[in-house]
Amino acid sequence: MENNILPRQQAEQKTPPDSIAFSKSHPVLDSDAQKLKNILCQTSNLETVRKRNSMSDDDIDSEDELRMMIAKEENLQRTSWSYISNSENDPFEVVRDDFKLDVHKLHSLSRVCMNNVSRHVSDSIMGNDCEYDSGDTDELIAMKKNISKVKNSAEFSQTEKPISKKSFKKKELSDHCNKVQKRIRKKSSINHGVKPLSDSSSSDNEESERDEKYKAMMKNCPRINLTLADLEQLAGSNMGVPENTESSGPQSTTSCKFDRASKSPKAPRSIYTGKQCICPEEILASLLREENMHGKQKPQEDKKKPKFQAFKGIGCLYGKESMKKTLNIASNNIIEEQSSLKHGDSNSISIENGLPHANGSPSKSTSCQHTKKKNDLNNIQPQRQLTYETQDHKVVSPSSSEKESRNLISSLLPLKGKTSLSLSAKIHKIGFDKDNCHGTQQREEASEEEEPNSSSNTSNVKPPKCYPGEDTRESMPGFSLSLSNSLSMDAKAKPAEDNQKRLAALEARQKAKEAQKKLVHNALANLDGPPQDKPTHIIFGSDSESEMEEASTQEPNLPGEELVKESRGKASGKLFDGEDEESDSEDDSDRFRIKPQFEGRAGQKLMDLQLHFGSDDRFRMDSRFLESDSEEEQEGKCLIVQKVLMPELEMDIIHYDPTRHDHITYERTKDDKPKESKAKQKKKRKEAEKLPEVSKDMYYNIATDLKEIFQATKDTIEKEKDKPGHKACGREKNEEVHSVVALMSGAEQPTEFMFSFFDSDSKNVKEETYKVETVKPGKIVWQEDRRFQDSSSEEEDVTEEKDHKKPSPEEASFPEKETTRFFFFSKNDERLHGSDLFWRGVGSNISKNSWEARTNSLLMDCRKKHKEAKRRVKPK
Amino acid sequence: MCPLTEEETRVMFEKITKYIWENLQLLVDRPIGTYYFRLHNDRVCYVSEKMLKLAANISGDKLVSLGTCFGKFTKTHKFRLHIMALDHLAPYVKYKVWIKPGAEQSFPYGNHVLKSGLGRITENTSQYQGVVVYSMADIPLGFGVAVKSTQDCRKVDPMAIVVIHQAGFGEYIRHEETLT
Repeated sequence: MENNILPRQQAEQKTPPDSIAFSKSHPVLDSDAQKLKNILCQTSNLETVRKRNSMSDDDIDSEDELRMMIAKEENLQRTSWSYISNSENDPFEVVRDDFKLDVHKLHSLSRVCMNNVSRHVSDSIMGNDCEYDSGDTDELIAMKKNISKVKNSAEFSQTEKPISKKSFKKKELSDHCNKVQKRIRKKSSINHGVKPLSDSSSSDNEESERDEKYKAMMKNCPRINLTLADLEQLAGSNMGVPENTESSGPQSTTSCKFDRASKSPKAPRSIYTGKQCICPEEILASLLREENMHGKQKPQEDKKKPKFQAFKGIGCLYGKESMKKTLNIASNNIIEEQSSLKHGDSNSISIENGLPHANGSPSKSTSCQHTKKKNDLNNIQPQRQLTYETQDHKVVSPSSSEKESRNLISSLLPLKGKTSLSLSAKIHKIGFDKDNCHGTQQREEASEEEEPNSSSNTSNVKPPKCYPGEDTRESMPGFSLSLSNSLSMDAKAKPAEDNQKRLAALEARQKAKEAQKKLVHNALANLDGPPQDKPTHIIFGSDSESEMEEASTQEPNLPGEELVKESRGKASGKLFDGEDEESDSEDDSDRFRIKPQFEGRAGQKLMDLQLHFGSDDRFRMDSRFLESDSEEEQEGKCLIVQKVLMPELEMDIIHYDPTRHDHITYERTKDDKPKESKAKQKKKRKEAEKLPEVSKDMYYNIATDLKEIFQATKDTIEKEKDKPGHKACGREKNEEVHSVVALMSGAEQPTEFMFSFFDSDSKNVKEETYKVETVKPGKIVWQEDRRFQDSSSEEEDVTEEKDHKKPSPEEASFPEKETTRFFFFSKNDERLHGSDLFWRGVGSNISKNSWEARTNSLLMDCRKKHKEAKRRVKPK
Repeated sequence: MCPLTEEETRVMFEKITKYIWENLQLLVDRPIGTYYFRLHNDRVCYVSEKMLKLAANISGDKLVSLGTCFGKFTKTHKFRLHIMALDHLAPYVKYKVWIKPGAEQSFPYGNHVLKSGLGRITENTSQYQGVVVYSMADIPLGFGVAVKSTQDCRKVDPMAIVVIHQAGFGEYIRHEETLT
């Protein structure tokens, strides 16, 4: 007893320090490799703490503003987020299009958490986090969404720690237990019972420290939903069969090692471990062999099969359990759970222990504990298992109709536990993988886990051998047969009627299956056969009949097959008959006509529908079933969307298209410009009119000058005569001082018209020889009038005056002469006569002499006058 | 319950475009199933194909509403957004305005957002741009129209209206009888 108590005390003593150590171990963890995850988890805690603090102030706004402040600070720090540098001044911030609050928050939180890890740790130690503020749930949920993955992993690692601790304890305990004698069994079981409690309490402490994590964990972890009613039911069922408690004990013990673990001494353990694997298997196998049935138990298949329950006998269950144990660790967990519960039934204390597992403490931890225990104690169990199972199968089972009923009830539980527990086991394993901190424990655990397997493998080579053999045998047929085998076994063992019935039903079923096989085989044979047996030409009526006959002859025993055959025959007959009835032409026309309702995408849908119905006339799809509006609507919508989205672009860029009629509005009419500038044009015209006036005068003058120059062929005498007249004319016209030549040629005005480029020249140009002609005054006058229509009255007057004066000299001066043309001038051109004035000819000495004489006399006169003048001035 | 005419569709899309711009395409062409707009009692309902087919079994006069009511057509054939469209439009909206907790209190009563209540705004928000109003916790509260551009928001005095209230979650209570 002392031995037993001692470990318990140790365990109890250990648990509280463990929990504390765990909570304290956080900072240490934080420094580890996967710290980040933990930190992320803790951020939520941190926030909640903070929030709650703010909430304690009863100031909601302050809380919100606190949040805002954090966000703002974060924004300031991260320039990438905040667009404005001077956001301090601005009461609001400007963010980019891709702004997302969640990410932002996350960052801020992570940072904050990094800064305040120590604080958080202290908080967690203080246990301040026990309460969970509903006000913060929203944020936490949001946070969880974001970090869920990370969190989960982190949580796994965290949850793992306690587990590992527990496993540690368990190991120690198991060691103790191993030393303890069998008789103290119950105490040890109590011990175990206490242990989970203490564990749960410690875990409670931990979880109270971080409720949120726990909740998230609960979300992720599958939990065993066991109501009190279930437990009671189980207990009741077990209690109801007190005799079987022992016999069922094996069952439970097979699975539930930890309760009985203490019983087993250390020494026999290894031996029994070997047996553990063997016993159920071998028993089953031998039984099955005896039955001459195919061993069709495939452990893996068994799990999946839903039929399992209906046909299940005890033996089958045992077999499976044992197999699972040896093969699958996860399945061990399941069984353990089941067994633990059952064990609880037998032991009142253990029930109490079991309840907290189901209700209070997290299912995960309990399951983990179970797994641990199992791992530790796996080795011990087999011994008992062997004995009990042998009892069950060989001795007890024949008389255990009650047992079956109990099993049915109990089997419900394992099913429940199975899935959830197996999952939990998986999670546990994941936790192992992720756990870095507790590598040592993990290793130990792993080694422990390995132990049973290795021991089973090493100590007993039999069981593994058996499985493959069975598997190979079983591989062909389905699961039902295996069940039937087990059933049949049971039935054989028991005299009960129902078992016989089952057997009969099974046999019938098997037969039916064989019959089906044959049927298929025959059918295939018929398909392949005909060319060999029968003529290639097929006569429909006779063929079907012969088939029918064949079927009937071949298998008269099987009613099911006959039915099938009949139906087949009928079907075939119908088919052929129908074809015979139909006329070919109609058939073709109907068949190969293009059906418009099957065109296009919608038609495709309809076609599929039609195919689904088959060629049933009642469900023929015609165009009425066509759903066109939906697609059209969609297309229309898309078009409108494009219109709505595009128009701005269209409005901005308008290309003038001259071919389009509505673009005429963008055209400028040609009339606009002239109308606008009419006034200007008038002005321009007037200006243009005036200008010629000026130039006309000049032209006229110039022309006169040129004429005079070229026509200076007249005698000086004549010029001198005309001088006064011309001068008068000149003054009247322009009041300009003309050159001497012009003055001199003024008298020869009539000749100027001969050189006019307009009319008068025509005659001269035609003539080879240059003729100097006098133009009739009348013609000249007329020409003048035409040329200077616009001329002012002044000019007209002048011209008139000219005209009056001109005629007289012209007629007198110009004789008609024909001269040979030389350049512009003819020989002895009269016009050149005047040039004598400008150069001194050879024969001009006379004039020179006279000039000298005259100049002398003139000089003398000048001097005289000058002297006289001087004299006059002097005396004055 | 009938499909929208082209004109109605255009008017409605123009309205929605003010908020989500080219993301309207995503609203019309949904990767998950087909969605339709249906007109029922002058109200535009956004219905999934499946629901539409189910609703086809119910006579129009007995049918109160179906799918999500996006808004309604006024007598002058203008489209007015309802708050129910928020869930569908908020994910696609381009310009957002976050309001402070104080303004968050008054916004559901139909009050406009003053500059003092403006917590955050998307950059480059132009004047008269349709926006979705968010709380600082990033929860969409309703629709609005920015009467000041982002740059103008800096200059105006704190009591100036920045966002005009168009539809807010307060309508769920205040206009309960008209929201179907």
